[in-house]
Amino acid sequence: METKKTGKVASFFRKLTGNHEISLALILILMFVVVDILSGGTFHTFGNITDIFRNNALTLLMSLGMLLVLLTGGIDISITGVLAFSGMTIGLMMKNNMFAGVPLPLRIVLFFLIATIIGTVCGFINGIIIAKGKVSPIICTLGAMYVWRGMAFIISNNSWASALDVQGFSDFGKEGSVGPYIILIVAFAAFFVLMKWSGFGRKVYAIGSNKEAARISGINVDRVQIAVYTIMGALSGLAGALSVSIYASGQPNMQTGKEMDVIAACVIGGVSMSGGRGTVLGTLLGGIFYAIVYKALPLVGLESIWQNLIKGVIILAVVVINVVTQRTMKRRTLARREI
Amino acid sequence: MAGKSGRSIAYTPERSILKRILSWEGALVIIFIGVLVMGRIMSASFTPENVLREMPKYLSEILIALPMGFILIMGEIDISVGSIVCLSATVATFAGNAGIPFPVVILICLATGLACGALNGFILTRWPELPPMIVTLGTQIIFRGIAEVSLGAGGSASYVNSKDLDILGARLGPFPVAFFAVIIAAVIYIVVLSKTTFGRKLYAIGSNRTAANYAGIKVGKVRFIVYTLAGLMSAICALFILTTTYGANTTTGQNYEMDVIAMCVFGGIATTGGKGNLFGALIAGFTIVCLRIALGLNNINTQLILVIIGLLLIVSVLISSLTQSDFFKKRQLKKAAEKSAKKEAEALNKPLE
Repeated sequence: METKKTGKVASFFRKLTGNHEISLALILILMFVVVDILSGGTFHTFGNITDIFRNNALTLLMSLGMLLVLLTGGIDISITGVLAFSGMTIGLMMKNNMFAGVPLPLRIVLFFLIATIIGTVCGFINGIIIAKGKVSPIICTLGAMYVWRGMAFIISNNSWASALDVQGFSDFGKEGSVGPYIILIVAFAAFFVLMKWSGFGRKVYAIGSNKEAARISGINVDRVQIAVYTIMGALSGLAGALSVSIYASGQPNMQTGKEMDVIAACVIGGVSMSGGRGTVLGTLLGGIFYAIVYKALPLVGLESIWQNLIKGVIILAVVVINVVTQRTMKRRTLARREI
Repeated sequence: MAGKSGRSIAYTPERSILKRILSWEGALVIIFIGVLVMGRIMSASFTPENVLREMPKYLSEILIALPMGFILIMGEIDISVGSIVCLSATVATFAGNAGIPFPVVILICLATGLACGALNGFILTRWPELPPMIVTLGTQIIFRGIAEVSLGAGGSASYVNSKDLDILGARLGPFPVAFFAVIIAAVIYIVVLSKTTFGRKLYAIGSNRTAANYAGIKVGKVRFIVYTLAGLMSAICALFILTTTYGANTTTGQNYEMDVIAMCVFGGIATTGGKGNLFGALIAGFTIVCLRIALGLNNINTQLILVIIGLLLIVSVLISSLTQSDFFKKRQLKKAAEKSAKKEAEALNKPLE
């Protein structure tokens, strides 16, 4: 009787530690409680939590596209370049009072649409070069990062869109507006369905696990790859518009280096860099984990200059812990087989 | 063993002059000369003296491109070098301001870089299944984070005894010291890569890490050495950067990793590993440096260089991957088959005559 009970506990424990999402969620809850106590109960307020999501909306949004790209075994580091280019374009459009005659709600939609289309085109070009030109993803997107960031600087011509220029448009993303949350919720819901229950999602997983096997089983690998990078581009474009809206300004150097944050959020969420492993839920948790750490540091009493150091340590710790648990799990299953 | 390395060990095919020019390095030399000519046409101030005077600003990045070439040939990547530059420059600045004699400052700076590189190497060899991209991403943020914390709220520190730095920033004849440093380092790295067993091991690891391991190569040791070298060269680069900026701030060395990888890839080193040589990377590095100087002298929006580097990168890789595609290979095979058929027919006909 007793051995059965301990066996049950052990298997329950194994389930907890074996599943990345569950263990991550537990760590998140634990961290949340600890930070809340340390900050004297100011952390779990509604305003603070919505703030966390608003400040990290861009990372969360783009991490969805990055999930797809990483699942196919690729990587996209051009996303912030695309973001800057599309954001700068609509910023300059607003500066020059384009579409000033269109009523405001429609104008907001229009600008979002333009930014998304620009992003989609950029992503499509990436996809074509990677899938048809057989260029390795990191090199292609590295080049694209330079090109689009440079284009953002060139079209801006040393000027930038100020808060006054983007007045009206910034109402969509300003504090207290529900706009960014709606975009996030819709995007996550759509991707959850897409990755779990659609043929396309299954194909992405298949390609990531084994490209050759996927090709032989009749999946058009090139087409899926192009689609994945195009989706990534579209999300980056959308994030460009969202960035202009939330931060009420458009600068050519906006969000520099953020692509690494996006990749880090995915990796913390359990997405494998070699492809084929990772879920939407994990990505969401990874993004939230990152966001909470960022928000919690000042509350715990560390100055903001410490943020990067802590961030780096967390990324390293997560990947190392992942490898160590995988090793022990493998050893355990091997030992069981021997018996 | 030819495989991905594209080099057969037992047999080296003859290379005609035309083939040498048509090879990637040949094309790079032509592009390099093209850039020089273009710079001269675009502005009268693009003279050798001016170019050499402007050079130290950009030249030191090539120092990192050399070990980065090693890393890419192994099929891996290191994106923490820019942050190592930042951290070693910061440490050197603080050490110099603390009144430590300059030679010791240099040693401290190099030791910092060495330690950072060794940390990368240690993590990657201790847990070999970790992807280098994500590990060096983590250390990238950490190294810059340490620099940020030590620089404090202002985010910058200037080197007080700037006279010391002028020793390194001096010039021998028309050439800056950094130029000689790059040439000497390049010669050493090129010889190590092409003439020593260590270089062969790098190609072997890049072609097939598992096979290299079974062939008796201590993969972990080689990787550790190479990542440590990258840290050391970043520190040397930091020293030369201090001679032009006279201080460090939180953005020192930002995006260097991308510039350096761009140099290597433009120079014909494949990121998939096992392919390429440093000679190409060296010319590519000088091409990009001269392009920067040319644009700077013409007061052209310096950000245009980003677009040009990006396009160069994509196009150069696209060309090499297209020429290796099935379409071209089939045509080449067909030609070769026709040729050999002709020869055979001739050989058959001869005795009959």
